[in-house]
Amino acid sequence: MGRMFSRVFFWALIGCLAMVFSTGAWAAPAIKIGVMAPTTGPWASEGQDMVKVIEILADGFNQKAGLTGAKIEVVVGDDGGVPKTAALAAQRLVTSGIVAVVGTYGSAVTEASQDIYDEAGVVQIATGSTSIRLSEKGLKRFFRTCPRDDEQGRVLGDKVKELGFTKPAIVHDNTSYAKGLAEESRAVMRAHGLNEVYYDAINPGERDFAVALSKIQAQNPDIIVFTGYYPEAGLILRQKKVKGWDIPMIGGDATNNRSLVDIAEASAAKGYYFVSPPGPGDMNTPEALELFKIYQEKHKGLPSSVWAVLAGDAFNVIVEAVAKVGPDSTKIADYLHSGLKDYKGLSGNISFNEKGDRIGEVYRLYKVNEKGEFVLQ
Amino acid sequence: MAHFIEQVIFGLTVGSIYALIALGYTMVYGVMKLINFAHGELFTLGAFVGFVFLVTLNWGGVFGPVLAIFLTALIVSGSAALAGHLLERVAYRPLRHSDRLAAVVSALGASIFLQNVIMVVWGAQYRAFNASLLPTVVWKIAGQSVPLIRLFVFLTAVLTMAALYLFINRTRFGLAIRAAAIDQGAAKLMGVDVRKVIASVFIIGPALGGLAGLLVGIYYGQINFNMGQMYGLKAFTAAVIGGIGNIPGAMIGGLLLGLLETLGEAYVSGAWKDALAFVALILILVFRPTGILSERVAEKL
Repeated sequence: MGRMFSRVFFWALIGCLAMVFSTGAWAAPAIKIGVMAPTTGPWASEGQDMVKVIEILADGFNQKAGLTGAKIEVVVGDDGGVPKTAALAAQRLVTSGIVAVVGTYGSAVTEASQDIYDEAGVVQIATGSTSIRLSEKGLKRFFRTCPRDDEQGRVLGDKVKELGFTKPAIVHDNTSYAKGLAEESRAVMRAHGLNEVYYDAINPGERDFAVALSKIQAQNPDIIVFTGYYPEAGLILRQKKVKGWDIPMIGGDATNNRSLVDIAEASAAKGYYFVSPPGPGDMNTPEALELFKIYQEKHKGLPSSVWAVLAGDAFNVIVEAVAKVGPDSTKIADYLHSGLKDYKGLSGNISFNEKGDRIGEVYRLYKVNEKGEFVLQ
Repeated sequence: MAHFIEQVIFGLTVGSIYALIALGYTMVYGVMKLINFAHGELFTLGAFVGFVFLVTLNWGGVFGPVLAIFLTALIVSGSAALAGHLLERVAYRPLRHSDRLAAVVSALGASIFLQNVIMVVWGAQYRAFNASLLPTVVWKIAGQSVPLIRLFVFLTAVLTMAALYLFINRTRFGLAIRAAAIDQGAAKLMGVDVRKVIASVFIIGPALGGLAGLLVGIYYGQINFNMGQMYGLKAFTAAVIGGIGNIPGAMIGGLLLGLLETLGEAYVSGAWKDALAFVALILILVFRPTGILSERVAEKL
């Protein structure tokens, strides 16, 4: 028995050594790309989709011989959707030796991590953080694949006017995203001569909006402009229907999520408008279709919102930049600012301006039909 | 005036849910002087167990709405009670003779653990209850249209609380609970089985909390894994306002908090409603530091 064991052990050792040598001979050290996403907390479903998309893309690159001979290693940091947690996650990610980081979703969360990445010399590409001031700080290594709130506010205000409404009631939820969008779109609507009849906030995470609805109804508006997120938007639609009040409602891109219809039910969500970058189902670039095919096989269904796809875009442009200029964050940032033009991304062509914001018109108007589907207008 | 009555009805519904959850905090505190931070998660668990029976298994379609809700309520209370009992066995009983701070840390840990278990089992996305579960009936009360379901939530909460009140004040076991709350050592000497009393508060409290979760699910139609945080915080506040450790206090505290929030939103501003409600609560605590109903400090329950 003893001899047999030692023989097995011997061959096992040889095997291990062979493996170590073989990988050592082929691969340069892996290039680490960070992903900071809310994989737990209130936006966990967004964050988990972001990670799923990036894992599929990274697998694809690694199978195709990788990047300049090196494998890509994705390092995930959970920001929990909370600024404080994001600061910790960012610290951990920068010490793990990443060249660039994708993320994150919420604007306030991104803001808490910006300086940490900047000081560590890491390129950051935010994916769902649309708050204006993030790219107004002069940070050389900050980019985003999502549009900004002022762009969204302009489109939202224009659409309210184009749809022929005259007495908007504006509701936000006190988050920096929703408040920013409410203020931007209010300014645009006022410039069009549409003065709001109501302007106030609800609290995110709450479920009872009966008081807010009865206050809004007393002002007799002809449309509700809600700039918050889908869980509350869904509840407002549902409670509005229970109340028997048939008033149109329009929202921003944070309501572009299938859960909105689950929460409100199709009969209450019918007729709801929102402006958003095109959702996963409306993306038809060959790159996106290929991604969705694999995603569908692996996770049964599409990503539930556009933000995960924009995270994939962020990941792709990092990989593209590293392939062109190597894993040096200053060179990557320079390349993204001026070298990268009309890169074929999942959500369309990608270029960045000198502030790191994505260039080009991205927003579209959607309307929910009677089956609860989001229809591009 | 009609507007005011409408707001009061809104406030009582919201408040009755806070009150139902607050009872769990207050009973545990009364007997053990421990704040069970995991109580909010037992509330969430109730909502999800209700989701399994009413939505996944569609009992509403099988048994009809009334019977389905009744049966689901029994199962929900039962499973939340079971979870509460396990929680006490695993997280609190081993620490009964250690520092109180250790128990608080254990409670926080249990809360994070349970929340993440719920996320892993049911997923991170929002889940929706079927809106057509209960027929949409609207009643006219004092010139106000009140959806039947609002009344249903309020009445269920109030009846449950009344039953608990009678149980605590009119039965032998209720007497034992009250005795253990006043002085565990003396109660033991008088032949009260204190272990059983502690086990019982960890069954009754979670059962009520789970029921509140089910009511929120049925009424608002939307649940998610971290809903217990916000409701837990509000209910804990309600328990403190009413005088923590005091059962009628938790009921009054819950209803009061619901009313304060609603009236603050209706007459001042939605953006400020939490701030206003909490300013009012701080004022109450300044003038009555032990809460509204805890004048008899010696008798906690």
